[in-house]
Amino acid sequence: MSGHHHPRAIGGKLLDRPMQILLAIFGVAAATMAYRFARGLGPVSNMTDGFTWGIWEPVNVVVFTGIGAGAYGVGLLAYLLNRGRYHPLVRPAVLVGAIAYTLGASSILVALGRYWNSYWLPWLPYWNLGSALLEVAICVLSYVLVLWIEVMPSVLEGAAASQASGWASFGRRYGPLLDKAMPYVIALAILLPTMHQSSLGGLMLIAGPKIHPLWHTALLPALFLVSCLSMGYGAVVVLVNLLRVTWKAKQDQALFAEMSKVNAGLLLLYVVLRVGDVALHGKLRYLGANFATLLFLFELALFLVPAVLFLTRRGQQDRGLHFGAAALAIAGGAFYRVDTYLTMYRPAGWTDGRANPGGWDYFPSLGETVVTVGMAALGIAVFILVSRLFPVVVVDDQQTSNLGGADVRAATSH
Amino acid sequence: MHNTGSDMIAELETKGVSRRDFVKVCTIAAGAVGLPAWAGEKMAETVETAKRKPSVIWLHFQECTGCTESLLRTSHPDLGALILDLISVDYHETLAAAAGYQIEKSLEDATRENKGKYVLVVEGAIPVKENGIYCRVAGKTAVETVKRYAADAAAVIAIGSCASWGGVPSASPNPTGASGVSAVLGRTVLTLPGCPANPYNLLGTVLQYATFGTLPKLDEKGRPEFAYKRVIHDDCPRRAHFDNGRFAKQFGDEGHRQGWCLYQLGCKGPQTHANCSLLDYCETPGAWPIGIGHPCVGCTEQGIGFNVPIGVNLPIERPTAPMAYPGIHPEHGVVSASPVAVGVGGAVIGALVGAAVVASKKLSAEDSRKE
Amino acid sequence: MRLSRRDLLKGAAVAGAATALAAEAEAREPVPGRPDALGMLFDSTLCVGCRACQTACKAANDLPADAVAAGGGVYDAPSDLNATTKNVIKSFGDGGARHQYMKQQCMHCVDPSCVSVCMMGALHKEGEGKRLLDFEQKNGSGVVLYDKGLCVGCRYCQIGCAFNVPKFEWNDALPRIVKCELCRHRGDPRKTGPLAVANPACCEVCPRGAIVFGRREELLAKARARLAGDPGRYNPRIFGETDGGGTQVLYLTAAGVSFQDLGLPSLPEESSAHFSETVSHAPYLHGVTPVALYAAMAFVISRNKKKEGEGQ
Repeated sequence: MSGHHHPRAIGGKLLDRPMQILLAIFGVAAATMAYRFARGLGPVSNMTDGFTWGIWEPVNVVVFTGIGAGAYGVGLLAYLLNRGRYHPLVRPAVLVGAIAYTLGASSILVALGRYWNSYWLPWLPYWNLGSALLEVAICVLSYVLVLWIEVMPSVLEGAAASQASGWASFGRRYGPLLDKAMPYVIALAILLPTMHQSSLGGLMLIAGPKIHPLWHTALLPALFLVSCLSMGYGAVVVLVNLLRVTWKAKQDQALFAEMSKVNAGLLLLYVVLRVGDVALHGKLRYLGANFATLLFLFELALFLVPAVLFLTRRGQQDRGLHFGAAALAIAGGAFYRVDTYLTMYRPAGWTDGRANPGGWDYFPSLGETVVTVGMAALGIAVFILVSRLFPVVVVDDQQTSNLGGADVRAATSH
Repeated sequence: MHNTGSDMIAELETKGVSRRDFVKVCTIAAGAVGLPAWAGEKMAETVETAKRKPSVIWLHFQECTGCTESLLRTSHPDLGALILDLISVDYHETLAAAAGYQIEKSLEDATRENKGKYVLVVEGAIPVKENGIYCRVAGKTAVETVKRYAADAAAVIAIGSCASWGGVPSASPNPTGASGVSAVLGRTVLTLPGCPANPYNLLGTVLQYATFGTLPKLDEKGRPEFAYKRVIHDDCPRRAHFDNGRFAKQFGDEGHRQGWCLYQLGCKGPQTHANCSLLDYCETPGAWPIGIGHPCVGCTEQGIGFNVPIGVNLPIERPTAPMAYPGIHPEHGVVSASPVAVGVGGAVIGALVGAAVVASKKLSAEDSRKE
Repeated sequence: MRLSRRDLLKGAAVAGAATALAAEAEAREPVPGRPDALGMLFDSTLCVGCRACQTACKAANDLPADAVAAGGGVYDAPSDLNATTKNVIKSFGDGGARHQYMKQQCMHCVDPSCVSVCMMGALHKEGEGKRLLDFEQKNGSGVVLYDKGLCVGCRYCQIGCAFNVPKFEWNDALPRIVKCELCRHRGDPRKTGPLAVANPACCEVCPRGAIVFGRREELLAKARARLAGDPGRYNPRIFGETDGGGTQVLYLTAAGVSFQDLGLPSLPEESSAHFSETVSHAPYLHGVTPVALYAAMAFVISRNKKKEGEGQ
């Protein structure tokens, strides 16, 4: 554990040019949302009674939380499997998770028609436990809370190191207390995503007749759980690499080499489950020269290609290739999720793999796209802000060190 | 010949109808047949200048003479008189002053003289059971008479529902085997069903024949399309109530007094082909069942009139609501992808992919530099 | 140390509550038909497309016109169910022999997807929700009612409903879900027993009895009698008898016309709600899994942490 570098606040100018751009994008989104609250969902979106969730649910909620699942994945490795070497990844991953989940939850609020009634949601007697969405809602809301608690150690540490005496004593006093409580928070932080990420898949179980049979299966919960982990690990790799490029953050390629085996396993598990489901449940007949098959194969490729890359030596050592594989893993999960929720969803259902005539059509409106992009921009802005102010990112002090590369060789040679 | 006809209609001589009135009636008739206004003028002109009026033989069988009566009871100008004036009715049992052998002789003379040229109008059903013994005139059964005079006729017109398809006498159990002219002759003749038939429909048909020597376009049942192509329901004055779901539920209830749709009371309008709602009966507005608050009984329609109980309603034959019904899967104002939205969406995805590729390359390059 | 123990107790309490709730949800038997379930029977061979039901429905539910300008006039001519239309007549075919009219409204399923997915029971079977509306009784009518006070507008019901019945007020800042509630607000005091509970306006005005209101069981018997009485006239199936776990609104159609022709989905006998809840709840093992998982993880993590501390 001697190699432990401690995270530290990046500092620097808060309102620099990138920040201004991000906030400007969010400003446009905020204006769009204000309009939506004043005039209803119809005027800003292309959502209809047929495609009632548009892109906000599948992208803002399902994909964003998939990316945010890096916190879940790293937590699993670092705490449960006790791989202490993963600790440097925990804080950035947790922060990204907290931000992504908060954005997901607030996106739901924007998309909800009768948002003012959601104050009833925590009221236990009104819970309908048959509803997968209720489970998602409760779990996500609790998890957002838990994630921010997980972010707190950074804040308290930052406080303890602060110049202001009151703030510093606050940090020194509550930091250790929180530290003691952390195992129970962390256990919750692993349990909750396990539950709601599978429920995100479970959500679409009931829409059975409306989803293409290649996508609809009783394995939806399992597939969503596995894909959230592969997306999450991918997101951590992408994040750390970006941090390294921008802020010279420490990046331990040996660690990634090890993690890439885990991710390869997850990606392959997904492929096995997916192909197994199609093969064993008599769905092979839906394969043919059609769009569904093409999309299905494309998705599988987005899982298979990074899996293979993660297993090859070059894919583990070459940062660029590794980064590319991780990006593909995120894209694979994102495609799978959006396809299940939107692309292969038809209000009038399917007959023998062909969409029934429904009369409904959908393409996201400018307003919807702006809100989605604006939310993502806000997320990046918050990440930058928190990283500048609080110790989240582990910065590599020996900037020319090639320790990572050596470790990779060591890790792969035995 | 002309004299014979004039004798027969002695009591019905036209009483000073002006040329203007005559042209007006002809124009109405032309309109009813679906011809332009100039055709009406031409009709009037043709009739006025014609040296020879077409000879008409009018036969009565099983019926109430309602069609003749209604023909004679048209209001001003005296349409019945006009019809009789522009044609030469050489045989008509109701109107003839003569009787017995005298009139039978005029029938023989007229049909011999105008062989292949006269128009045969049949009013009444023809009984066919027991070799047609249920109806005999001058010792001949109706079947024999109609077959004999139809053979030499230029055109056969069956007026009224009885002659068209059997009418009232054919109502179940139809003890006499009452049948229409087409059924007896084994070929489709021009039929003008109705109980009684609207005289204007006869006028239009006859005028067209007199003027142009042609018969109007007929449907598969021999009915002129100008009068029988549409169903009562299509042009019903109460249609708005049907479209809005306002139905009289029993005679005398609030809806009935308000003049609501009579469909639920058994109106046969939706399957009854006739122009009652468009052409006033004997030029008297409202003088038809629906006009006086009674459901249409379907008198023109074989199998409905006098067969389906008055209180029973029928499916709509040709639904023509204010606008078409939605299909099972209607289009829902299909979202046309706005070019801007597509552009922004594409830019976002493109930026993500591009950034990933650039970052990947940069990272690789950085590594190789270090190596 | 004291703090973590208290946390542990708290965690156990939360977990215990979750267990109890999850156990309740886990007991998911197929929903049997309620003996007094109310419904309607639509016989497309009788419907003449007069749309009296459509007009009466709007009047009875105080719904605004879906004004469509056509042919020089403006008509209340909805093309489908929508936020202002709870009942619509559609047409199948081109006017030929197979031409049929289709009446579409809420099916009042025996085991409805919308009820299964609704987070707080805004959509619920009468008397079986999380709270009672002021007119509501525990009478087993099986009418799917809407409680706007518990609706957050998530529109999951629209995703879940295989019939695409619930509609959303898209152009309203304070929108609601709109769907047929079997005219539950129009109880008929002249009747007694279950039939007095509701009085659908569409059934009241239909001039041909193409749509009739009654207890589901009686309607099923009536439908069977019609099939037996004139087998050549009808498609031999009764839609809704078993489809998707059964519906309380039943359909008959003409021989040679399939229910899919009329836009009704092809559904298995197992309701989507039953399938979804069974699959979703199975891994929870009556709530044991999450609790056990949490306890095990908390133990392992704190042990790891302790070890790590010692190691340092």
